[in-house]
Amino acid sequence: MVSKTMSNPTVNTIKKSKGKVLVAMSGGVDSSVAAALLVDQGYEVIGATMQVWDYSNCDITEGNGTCCSSLDVDDARSVADKLNIPFYVLNCEAKFKASVIDPFINAYLNGQTPLPCVNCNTYLKFDHLIQKMKELGCDYLATGHYAQIHKDDTGKSHIVTSTDDWKDQTYFLFTIDPNIVSKLLFPIGHLKKPDLRLIAEEKNLVVAKKKDSTGICFVGNAGYDQFIKNNVSKNILDTKKGLLKRFPSGEVMSTHEGIHLYTIGQGKGLGMTHHEKLFVIKIDSIDNTVWVGDEKHLFFDEVDVIEPHLLSEISDGETLNVKIRYQHKGSLARVSKTETGFKLKFQEPQRAITPGQAAVFYRNQNILLGGGWIKT
Amino acid sequence: MLQFENSAQTRIYLDHNATTAPSKTVLDHLPQMISEWGNPSSIHLSSRGPKNILRETRKQFAEIFKCSSLEIIFNSGASEGNNTVLKSVWEKFGLEKNEYIISQIEHPSVLKTASYLQTLGAVIHLIPVLKSGQIDLEFIKNKINSKTALISCMFANNETGTVFPIQQISDIAKKNGVNNNILMHSDCVQALGKYEIDLAALNLDYATFSGHKFYALKGCGILFAKKNAPYANLIHGGGQERSRRGGTENVLGIASIQVMLQELKYLNQKISQMQTLRDNMESEILKKINNVSITAVESERLSNTSSLVITDVDGETMLMSLDIAGFSVSTGAACSSGSPEPSPVLLAMGLTRNEAQNSLRIGLGWGTTEIEIQKFISALIEIVERIRSIDTSSKENGKQNYV
Repeated sequence: MVSKTMSNPTVNTIKKSKGKVLVAMSGGVDSSVAAALLVDQGYEVIGATMQVWDYSNCDITEGNGTCCSSLDVDDARSVADKLNIPFYVLNCEAKFKASVIDPFINAYLNGQTPLPCVNCNTYLKFDHLIQKMKELGCDYLATGHYAQIHKDDTGKSHIVTSTDDWKDQTYFLFTIDPNIVSKLLFPIGHLKKPDLRLIAEEKNLVVAKKKDSTGICFVGNAGYDQFIKNNVSKNILDTKKGLLKRFPSGEVMSTHEGIHLYTIGQGKGLGMTHHEKLFVIKIDSIDNTVWVGDEKHLFFDEVDVIEPHLLSEISDGETLNVKIRYQHKGSLARVSKTETGFKLKFQEPQRAITPGQAAVFYRNQNILLGGGWIKT
Repeated sequence: MLQFENSAQTRIYLDHNATTAPSKTVLDHLPQMISEWGNPSSIHLSSRGPKNILRETRKQFAEIFKCSSLEIIFNSGASEGNNTVLKSVWEKFGLEKNEYIISQIEHPSVLKTASYLQTLGAVIHLIPVLKSGQIDLEFIKNKINSKTALISCMFANNETGTVFPIQQISDIAKKNGVNNNILMHSDCVQALGKYEIDLAALNLDYATFSGHKFYALKGCGILFAKKNAPYANLIHGGGQERSRRGGTENVLGIASIQVMLQELKYLNQKISQMQTLRDNMESEILKKINNVSITAVESERLSNTSSLVITDVDGETMLMSLDIAGFSVSTGAACSSGSPEPSPVLLAMGLTRNEAQNSLRIGLGWGTTEIEIQKFISALIEIVERIRSIDTSSKENGKQNYV
């Protein structure tokens, strides 16, 4: 009966522990290395995967092997076994559906371009898991995000950008409650992806060569439009059909199959042929009009953001570096307070400022201050 | 007397309704059991030992459980047994007699097979469970008609331990005055090693058993099918089990069942030992932790099972915390992904989703000791205090979703 699985993986009790950490493990290489580094650093580590369901290819009928047996969960479990740490799968399906999937679908149906990763961070990773962390008596919560925590001279912890500019994920972290920042660990934020893969290989983790996940985890290869089609009734989708009009003249160019199929700034797949290069300028969810026009109409230097979250104080009228989408490099803008949030005045006009995306503020290029949602 | 192998000396296993560790006696007999590796169907000498194991196990089982050894079919376990029973009855009667009365809280191997039969034209009546944990006998009486083919009710529930009145249900099946030819099946998986079973007195047509819930090895089980009860092969193949179940017999598993059958002479002693421990545990938990309720406490329960609702304490976190502290318990039926959903059994009994999510199942075993239970209670108190001390307000209650 003596087997590896029967041993009690209650972590390294010989070395003096640096504290107890709950680490969110997705089964990907980043969070796997994060867990491995924490073990090396002498923390007591507990791994957890949030079962959020892969809606893209889940068929819960019998005879279909995908249900309840996500390969990513298997990978995470296998890494936890290798590291000899406790590991659990947390059932987050209902919460994920209510706070990530449903708002994602509704945003598209209202002509916006949603940012589901922020909601997942807000309601699951940095709320549900924080709760679990406390209940389990852990001192810290760790994730495999490309972000870092730095302490300033006063001892206050700040979230700062990752060493890997390309992978930096602080954009998705602007809703984090400032009171929990000191409880967070981002063990891989100081690494660049290729170095991280080397560590995974050295440690012989099964996920070392696993492909990077790109795009939205629950959408799958078929694309978000297919996902929406699969999850929203045809009757509702039919009410989203409307006209493609030329901006600003109002000339009717064509009809379209639903406003959810368009994103501000989109230049391809407009569903019509035209001799000039045209872009989606504006989506009007009231009458389902999708406005298309010259690229020059995409540029604005002002935007209102609502539902603000701040991790640190900012002065009214301060000039900050602002990112308006994940891949955006960031541009300087004057940030003024309004009743509902902030008004941003960019030094340079910005292309395709998109409702549903976030405007995220940084000081000195790298300190995450907070942000808000771009208003329709 | 039995002793139990516990490889991780510090680990305390209290999840015996999920599975049991093979008994020390089974482990001691392993080398001898494995030495009988021959194919029982062969003619030469190597088959003699394995044949003997099959014959003796069958004979002993028949003696203990009061049936004929011809009525015993060895298989892979209760899931196979339950599938075989329902599909046999369907194959016999088909659409002619297509109504099945099945308790709502059966194991998925019964419920899912019933759903499958439904797609072929069967009509399934699910017997509701009352708040007490008992099933509604009136429902059964009301549903019986000339088209009723089978009643299926488990002997005892895996989660709450509730023992169902099988003999009474059999009486309803056989002496209702409307249709006295209703077949009666009971999934007896949870009863083995925890309750004395007399198949003759219970008047069952089918009963299903599994070795691994009873300190034998995994992958072996027993199906009792009464003489003349409809039977159809689930697995076609060689002439094994009197051509009722193809495939070379799991001789090792069956031998482990044989070993455990001999241990059944301690059954009554084990039952009262587990009951004393369980009852003391429950009264101590009720005394030391407030806002705890015991599910189905008014019903007759298996002596080893305790299903608790600990208010405001998430079962998932409790299970994880206990696991890390070295205790194996369960929050309900195990799911293949390891990601627990609120127990359908508890929901069926009328517990709220919250109550079901705050539940913990403790399953004592033959080898559970007083010291283990004391350690468990101390750990549980500490964990419950810790979890209750944390503010559980969650963002979704306070703020709107941002879109």
